[in-house]
Amino acid sequence: MTKKKSIFTQEVIVGIVLVALYFIFRTISSDFGKYTTFLSMMDISYYYALMAIGVAFPLITGGVDLSIGTGMICYALAGGCLIRFYNVPTGLAMLVSILFGLGIGLANGVLISVMGLPPFLATLCTCMITRGLGSVVTGSFAIPWPTAKQDNGWFHSIFKITLADKTKLPLGLVWIILLMLIMQFVLAHTRFGRYTIAIGSNKEAAILSGINVKFYHIMVYAVSGLFAGLASIAYAAVIKTVQPGTGAGMELDAIGGAIVGGVSASGGYGTIYGTVIGAYVILFLKQGLPYIGFNANMQQIITGFVLIGAVTIDIIKRKVIK
Amino acid sequence: MGEVILTMKNIDKSFPGVHALDHVDFELKRGEVHALMGENGAGKSTLMKVLTGIYTKDSGTITYEGREVEFHNTHDAQAAGIVIVHQELNMVGDLTVAQNIFIGREFKKGFMIDDRKMIQESKKLFDELHINIDPKAKMSDLTVGKQQMCEIAKAISHQAKVIIFDEPSAALTEKEIEDLFAIIRDLRKQNLGIIYISHRMDEIKVITDRVTVMRDGAYVGTLITDECTKEDIINMMVGRVIYEDPKTHSMVPADAPVVLKVEHLNAGKMVQDVSFELRKGEILGFSGLMGAGRTETARALFGADPKTGGDIYINGKKVTINSPEDAVKNGIGYLSEDRKRFGVVLKKNITENSTLATLPKYMSGLFINKGAEKEVTERYIKELDTKTPSADQLVVNLSGGNQQKVVIAKWLVRNCDILIFDEPTRGIDVGAKNEIYKLMNRLAAEGKSIIMISSEMTEILRMSDRIIVMCEGKKTGEISIEEATQEAIMDKATRDIK
Amino acid sequence: MENIKQNPVVKKLGFNRIILFCILLLMYGVFSVIIPGFASMDRIMSILNYTYFLGFLALGVTFVIATGGIDFSIGPVMFCCALMAGYTLNTHGAPVVVSLIMSIVIGFCFGCFNGYLVAFVGVPPFIVSMATMNIAKGLGSVFTKTQSVSWPQGNDPSGKGWFRNLVKVGDFPVGLLIFAVAVVILYIVMNNTKAGRYILCLGSNKEAVRLSGVNVRKWQMLAYVICGALVGIAAIFFVGAYTTVQPGLGDTYNNEAIASCVMGGTSMAGGLASIGGTVIGVLVISLLQEGIMALRMTKEVQMIITGIIVIVFVYADVSARRRRN
Repeated sequence: MTKKKSIFTQEVIVGIVLVALYFIFRTISSDFGKYTTFLSMMDISYYYALMAIGVAFPLITGGVDLSIGTGMICYALAGGCLIRFYNVPTGLAMLVSILFGLGIGLANGVLISVMGLPPFLATLCTCMITRGLGSVVTGSFAIPWPTAKQDNGWFHSIFKITLADKTKLPLGLVWIILLMLIMQFVLAHTRFGRYTIAIGSNKEAAILSGINVKFYHIMVYAVSGLFAGLASIAYAAVIKTVQPGTGAGMELDAIGGAIVGGVSASGGYGTIYGTVIGAYVILFLKQGLPYIGFNANMQQIITGFVLIGAVTIDIIKRKVIK
Repeated sequence: MGEVILTMKNIDKSFPGVHALDHVDFELKRGEVHALMGENGAGKSTLMKVLTGIYTKDSGTITYEGREVEFHNTHDAQAAGIVIVHQELNMVGDLTVAQNIFIGREFKKGFMIDDRKMIQESKKLFDELHINIDPKAKMSDLTVGKQQMCEIAKAISHQAKVIIFDEPSAALTEKEIEDLFAIIRDLRKQNLGIIYISHRMDEIKVITDRVTVMRDGAYVGTLITDECTKEDIINMMVGRVIYEDPKTHSMVPADAPVVLKVEHLNAGKMVQDVSFELRKGEILGFSGLMGAGRTETARALFGADPKTGGDIYINGKKVTINSPEDAVKNGIGYLSEDRKRFGVVLKKNITENSTLATLPKYMSGLFINKGAEKEVTERYIKELDTKTPSADQLVVNLSGGNQQKVVIAKWLVRNCDILIFDEPTRGIDVGAKNEIYKLMNRLAAEGKSIIMISSEMTEILRMSDRIIVMCEGKKTGEISIEEATQEAIMDKATRDIK
Repeated sequence: MENIKQNPVVKKLGFNRIILFCILLLMYGVFSVIIPGFASMDRIMSILNYTYFLGFLALGVTFVIATGGIDFSIGPVMFCCALMAGYTLNTHGAPVVVSLIMSIVIGFCFGCFNGYLVAFVGVPPFIVSMATMNIAKGLGSVFTKTQSVSWPQGNDPSGKGWFRNLVKVGDFPVGLLIFAVAVVILYIVMNNTKAGRYILCLGSNKEAVRLSGVNVRKWQMLAYVICGALVGIAAIFFVGAYTTVQPGLGDTYNNEAIASCVMGGTSMAGGLASIGGTVIGVLVISLLQEGIMALRMTKEVQMIITGIIVIVFVYADVSARRRRN
């Protein structure tokens, strides 16, 4: 009755691609193989991966969240402002950033689930609004978070620790993997995750089964917002100075990662580990292609084609099965 | 049969402009299978929706297990033990069978959903019902029949005392129907009350204990199945004579030319080596059970789905039809069984829909000639007697019968010589039905050739000049109207099924 | 209130569009009162500069949204057109006419690419937009070697600045004339031609249109092609007014174009589109951006306000439709 499942799921293929990319880049460019390159690439990866984990949930419901990129900048600016101008302790400021993200996520959820706006439009609007808010809050000034050497700069060590012998370890990678596992577990083994899939697969059936779809639909966007909040901390830890007005387009890299990693563009299916692997593929292309002699701008073009390629393969695969 | 578990008395419900339920009575006992019958629009579904809390009744009382109850949503009804197995399946395709059965009330272990326990429980349910389904299978990988079994298992797992089956056999194969009946008999033994909605007379005789008939939103009467005949039930359902006598002989002259010849048409499992001829002015009925491959044949012929082989000749000339575009160019029009999805553009008005297939004819230069367009639309509104305030009315605001007339107008404007009517009267009320019949007869008399796919035996016998019967993707018979009887058709429609 | 809505004239124009137009007038009034010298010809010319390019973008995307699709690569594609055509003009000494045509052709090609992928391959429009956005940005940067491109000034000694006459001659807004003609043409295309009819119908129910014997893929692709060509034209008006384009930018204009389109009553679900509504939406955003600038606030404030207006209008639309059902 059940079809024999191919072990070559999109996730596995993308995982192989990721490893292959790493070794190809290493072989061609000796610079790419350096530990410092690896470290700086990991630094950049954290906020992308966090955004991708978060946005996977709206994508699985068949929606989208475009507000995470500008939102992330906005939350980082808000937190930075508190530290700079109001001497708020770093920990508290971080909490505010995260809660800010959660709040915007809830707002998205209400707009979509209760008020019935299309997800694309609702989050496009909050994308514009968060971008504006970031500037308004800071008076359009760039906001530096404390550096690692300053007293209140301890949060840097969440993502990167320096050992006694001066070697640096990308601790953030551990958190990403941990969060990935937790959220994968949430998706696969909790009610919230199951209903996320149900909403994306057949919303009517979910409603008729007596599920409080409105509530869970809001929660989906809250999770996305929450992770954008977490991403803002990772961003502040890596990018010394947060510039208002930036962040647009970052959400697309995160969404692209999720799609490449096998999340169905029409909803109903997706995995968090696939999402994270996909996000790293996009990142490797972005960061790695220049090392092997491609013009830094060529990588954008290639990323574009990779995205179309991944989805087209999926479409063809499904046609063949039918 | 045990004591009465459910009584509905004097149920009344009105929608704007329609008196949907007119003081209806209904009674169900434990351990009985009670058929609810009536034509489309008789009010069966509305009554069940009132019972399960989807609609609120205007007046009347529902007594369940000796207490007066009022449910506000399906969840309330479910909690009390009344569940409905829907005609349209309500399954989440991307989840597994077990996950679907327990959706909304998952077993939990702390934070976690206890999938293992859900799988065990599902297995137990399936064992009880003697069904062989893997609880770990993905729902969208199952056949419609198996999905239905899952729906039933889900209903039973709700500790149901009353189960409503809404046309459960519509999408099932003969074998699956037998399985279904075995389950229903089992449930009856366990003293559950079962309401069985169906149009299939033979099923009613086989499986039910009592029959309640409704007509035009009103209660007509209740009979004990064993003590009545098919004719008794039909008389109650119909009430007035609306069915004309069956056609006794073909209206097609013996020398009428063949306009369409299909040879060895193949398209997947549902269309295997189908060949037939259609003559000028003929109404060719396609009969068979649900899932016999009739719609698939029509779609493949029309180029809507890809075909894997076969030749098509129109007026003796071989033609290539690979897309609906080709088909329309060759003068074929197709009226889908699912009007809203495949027939009309709901958000657009009657004019825009009527000329959709013929737009190039209504162009003056680069621009649409809106005057001419409106003129022809209004002509067909008058000719087909479409009930609408104006040609500018959006199609979404029309009734089913009038939407169907808009689709017919679309093909008449195109002046197609060959028309495929797929279930032309599905979801259409009795009056409008007769109008559609008259129209089809008129078209045939004017020299159009019609293929009519229908699951209603009376419709087939009343309209066709010749009947082709299909079963499981194959053509199993061709019967002239002179020789056609219900029994003969049924025999061919089920011939291969043991 | 209900009586007003049922009035045939109001129904024809659309209640929401009339409200939007009133908001436009009100905004102009408020800005004129609180900003000294706002009600001047200079300001109007400045507003119009913004209207032209945003208008072409928004009109283009209206066609795509009418099919039920989306294209948010239009901003970067516009920049890509302007960069590549401008670079050819400056560095390779191409005649101005060639550059202008080149701009439109590049937009057209992007439209074909997007349309083909959506209509024939079946890639979701959202994904295509994301990919095209990357490609357009990358292509623009690679072509110009990551340098910004300035188109010639009106008084450029080479005489190449004549294309600015398309925007204005002296104080006469030629661009307005061109834009108005374009609006009329596109209105007719949308409402009185086969292309518009099929685009709107397939946006509402693609399968029914296909089963009526229409080659839906062709017409669906056409919507993207129209959009692409209009984006190429938008690029000309952008450089005609603002001279310089930088590689890697253009994202914000997508949002503004889509916002004006949606405010004007074009439904994201497809099948309903209003060219007139889009134009009013574009005027609202142009006016807003000029007013915000005159108040010495940043563009970001404008975004907040735009976002809120869109939410309000879409919500009004959605809830009206819900009530009807």
